[in-house]
Amino acid sequence: MRAFAYTPADSPEAAVRLAAEPQARYIAGGTDLLNLMKDGVQQHDRLIDINNLPLREITVSEDRVRLGALARMSDVAGHPGVRRRLPLLSQALLAGASPQVRNMASIGGNLLQRTRCWYFRDSTMPCNKREPGSGCSALEGLNRWHAVLGGSDRCIAVHPSDLAVALTALDATVTTLSAQGPRSIPVREFYLSPGDTPDRETVLRPGELITGLDVPATDRSAESRYLKVRDRATFEFAVVSVAAVVAVRHGVVRQASLAFGGVAPRPWRSPEAEQALIGRPLHAATVAAAGRALVRGAIPREHNGFKIPLVQRALADVLDGFGGRR
Amino acid sequence: MSAGVVGKAIARVDGRAKVTGAARYAADAEVRGVAHGVLVMSTVARGRIVALDTRAAQAAPGVVDVYTHLTMPRLTVPAPTTGYFKRFVPMQDENIQHAGQPVAIVVARTLEEAQQAAVLVIVRYESQTPQVVLADGLGDAYVPAPGSDGTNDYVRGDTGAGLAAAGVIVDATYTTPLQHHNPLEPSVTVAAWSGDRLTVHESTQGISNTQNALMQALGVPRENVRVITPFVGGGFGAKGPVWPHTLLTAAVARLAGTPVKLVLTRAHTYTSHGHRAETHQTLRIGAARDGRLTAIEHVVTQPVSRSDELVFNSSEPTRMLYACPHVRSTQRAVRLDLPTASFVRSPEAATSHALESTLDELSHALQLDPVELRLRNWSAVNQETGAPHGSNFLRECYERGAAEFGWARRDPRPGSMRDRDGLIGWGMATAAHTAGGRPGAGAAVTISVEGTALIRSGTQDLGTGTYTVMQQIGAQVLGLPLHAVRFDLGDTNFPPAFASAASATVPGVGSGVVRAATTARGRVVALAVADPRSPLYGVEPARISTADGYLHVTGQPSRRVSYRSVLRRHGQPIEVTSDPAPAALGYSTGAVFVEVHVDPAIGRIRVRRVVGVFDPGRVLNRQTARSQAIGGAIWAIGFTLMEHTLIDPHLGRVVTPNLSGYLVPVNADVPDIEVGFIDRPDPSSPALGARGFGETPMTGVTAAIGNAVHHAIGKRIRDLPITQDKVIAALS
Ligand SMILES: Cc1cc2nc3c(=O)[nH]c(=O)nc-3n(C[C@H](O)[C@H](O)[C@H](O)COP(=O)(O)OP(=O)(O)OC[C@H]3O[C@@H](n4cnc5c(N)ncnc54)[C@H](O)[C@@H]3O)c2cc1C
Ligand code: SF4
Repeated sequence: MRAFAYTPADSPEAAVRLAAEPQARYIAGGTDLLNLMKDGVQQHDRLIDINNLPLREITVSEDRVRLGALARMSDVAGHPGVRRRLPLLSQALLAGASPQVRNMASIGGNLLQRTRCWYFRDSTMPCNKREPGSGCSALEGLNRWHAVLGGSDRCIAVHPSDLAVALTALDATVTTLSAQGPRSIPVREFYLSPGDTPDRETVLRPGELITGLDVPATDRSAESRYLKVRDRATFEFAVVSVAAVVAVRHGVVRQASLAFGGVAPRPWRSPEAEQALIGRPLHAATVAAAGRALVRGAIPREHNGFKIPLVQRALADVLDGFGGRR
Repeated sequence: MSAGVVGKAIARVDGRAKVTGAARYAADAEVRGVAHGVLVMSTVARGRIVALDTRAAQAAPGVVDVYTHLTMPRLTVPAPTTGYFKRFVPMQDENIQHAGQPVAIVVARTLEEAQQAAVLVIVRYESQTPQVVLADGLGDAYVPAPGSDGTNDYVRGDTGAGLAAAGVIVDATYTTPLQHHNPLEPSVTVAAWSGDRLTVHESTQGISNTQNALMQALGVPRENVRVITPFVGGGFGAKGPVWPHTLLTAAVARLAGTPVKLVLTRAHTYTSHGHRAETHQTLRIGAARDGRLTAIEHVVTQPVSRSDELVFNSSEPTRMLYACPHVRSTQRAVRLDLPTASFVRSPEAATSHALESTLDELSHALQLDPVELRLRNWSAVNQETGAPHGSNFLRECYERGAAEFGWARRDPRPGSMRDRDGLIGWGMATAAHTAGGRPGAGAAVTISVEGTALIRSGTQDLGTGTYTVMQQIGAQVLGLPLHAVRFDLGDTNFPPAFASAASATVPGVGSGVVRAATTARGRVVALAVADPRSPLYGVEPARISTADGYLHVTGQPSRRVSYRSVLRRHGQPIEVTSDPAPAALGYSTGAVFVEVHVDPAIGRIRVRRVVGVFDPGRVLNRQTARSQAIGGAIWAIGFTLMEHTLIDPHLGRVVTPNLSGYLVPVNADVPDIEVGFIDRPDPSSPALGARGFGETPMTGVTAAIGNAVHHAIGKRIRDLPITQDKVIAALS
């Protein structure tokens, strides 16, 4: 790790001003950033500590939950209002990392954590995301954990956040502050597809600060679940994951909002899979049709083809629990 | 001997020091003026260095110097008998034999300065495409010349005839992946020179090996090298051999003129201290209709590096365990551009996995209960040597384990046992591992004028409880209370001991302590019966017993005298040293039963229950022995369900060099583990009837899990680790 300067910021505006310096970066919990810096994957001349900013609050009202960007994963996961109104969010957070990491890690930082692709995380291996133009080692390499949907021939890394998958299903909005002032960005538009520029992961402008999240409460009649499939019981990133919010009335799906993790470079939505469900009775044929719609166009690589059946099975497992079917 | 000190469940005597931070590990050694070394590793797997630029690193703040093959002194490659298995020392020339080979060492005043400067070293390579995939090299497999453990092509009887006589034959191919030890404490060397004398604080399983290798590499006399290792934060074999970083650190400390501390980073440990080589195994087993084995053919193929050909996935289970007249066991090697492999806890685990899994396949083919199959092939003797085991209660292990597990309630039909959300599988296997049979250890016993004993041996405590059990043995033999005995280890100034490896510590060091303590006790008894003022005056020495700090006439506990008064009158301490004596090879066995749950929707496997009953001879300490069994089962869960080191096929580099990429079980993966012991002394063991045991309990569990998965889903997954994707593929 190279030496860097450290400056605590005392207000969001001051933080944004400090971040005008090109090689400056915000630090919240530091649970991802410091690893990347120690491993030489990222180098920053200055870290702007944002932990003193008044952005830790969690407010639950009838129709929405508002989360400050610096709220800790554990604060949000354990918040009684969140557990009551948005159990999906709490489940997704508790499925991530370990209690120790969750106590430290912030919500804002979670959205901006970087991929676990090991070629990216070793600063001496070719990787287009880390070093544009150096090549993608995963395409022909060890890609069991990589994307089958939404990748490009430049990058097939998956986004590792469980939270972002849940927020995508919940149609949350990210609020930010930059030199141009505050703005709101729907989570569903927050992440970019890799295309030819896998180094660009979000629509954030340089130095833009995430201030919080706005999450609409789900319909009271809807059921939700976050299912994370992984290679050990806990403390591991998703091989595939499913976040689902589904309302079933008289056996017929009225509303379906689905998002998938571990399969794509960004939290993956499938309007086609949702459409395959809405207005139909929730039985095995419907579930299978939704699964097929989800993986249409999927591109398997040498080691990750199993994700295509696995994500369909995971979706079926989630849906099987809804509408009193199990 | 007094009853009760040996055999009890006694908490580790060093436990408090460890949990309070008082225990000083190698990296905690306080060495005045110590500088910090950081390795720079090759990023190619095969090739040579064509250019090196260290100017920026040398100019960086705090840097003492930067060393490369251009500036290093010539070092002699230590002989393999020192435990230095690699056949070259890095940083001696420009050649690169594997990725992650040291190419430079940066030494700086602080660790941070050394780390910062290490990134500034520029190395250019001319590289060739490496070969690192075993499956691609199977056609080039060859049988290496006999190694230290004997022939690689073992033949007993005539397997052709045995197979011809078989009623049933099963053929199977199993693979196990490359794995790493991952001790919590990475390897550490702190080297300090004073003139031409070298003191090394090392995290090692073998201080004598380290001393010998340093002496040979640096060309200094043995008495000038002292190695100190009071505590080891886990080794599992990683620290058994001697590795380059130790030699290089000592060499640069001399050049730098300052003590140097080098701690391997976690990432560096994946190419710097050995690994369990991947295996490809084919088995053909023939049996008569009644289940008696007629032939076993077992070929295990594993990668070796470009410069050594040591095969550590050894085939003892196939050769030794079951009664079978016709056996051929071949160990083949394939040269790849990988670092040197070595032993990892339970080197027999990989072959045991394949053998015990194939036996399960045989039990299905025969429609014979797997426990019954093993009982029918139980052997009273070591099948390889024909010699009887010192003792052998394996049949009792099967019977007790089956009873405790409830095996009789098993429906043998695969897929027949279920609960609300999935399939249940029950599987079993034999645990077996050789133990000891190594050069052994000496020990020095000093009985002070206060009647307390200090016992010293140049062994190590990996965290397994060596301090504790040796103190127990000493107390037991001398007849002193536990608190009146201290055991000290980890210093080459003490009598030499073999490395803490191969389950050899209890038989090797234990018997060294028994010998020295027995002689010392005899000397005290002799003093007591020769002293007219002693109540034991004139009594036949053979009639004297010792217990709780007293000597008394056997059968007359009140006619006694304390150690303290005998020694006080003697006026000086009694000192006895025993020389190392080899301990015979033991065989510790057991039976393991496992329940798994499989969620067929997403292929998820959970181990729900493990029951293991073992025969390690006499149990010296129920608590530390039980911990070994629990740790073995946990590792076996990792071995079977998740652990594997991945090497990129094109780059030839490890892509999982950390505990985020290399998964080991977490608490939530570990179920209830029930451990039982037969606990009957092995009369052939000079260590109070105890055999080595550390490596046995990891064997058996792996195959029992795989066999249970088969019982649950009706499909056999022969490639480890058994991950969800393989379960789903098997089910669809
Ligand atoms: C061992 C381990 C296991 C993990 N497992 C999981 C898992 O299973 N699932 C999962 O979802 N996550 C997992 N994580 C990731 C973890 O959730 C993230 O590291 C964490 O949420 C990041 O938050 P932080 O506050 O520590 O961010 P930091 O490390 O401080 O920052 C991360 C990035 O976000 C930027 N940043 C932070 N806050 C803001 C802000 N308010 N505005 C703009 N930029 C900001 C920083 O500049 C930096 O680039 C794991 C992490 C570890 C270390
Ligand atoms: S998948 Fe993306 S992150 Fe991984 S090596 Fe390729 S470009 Fe880099």
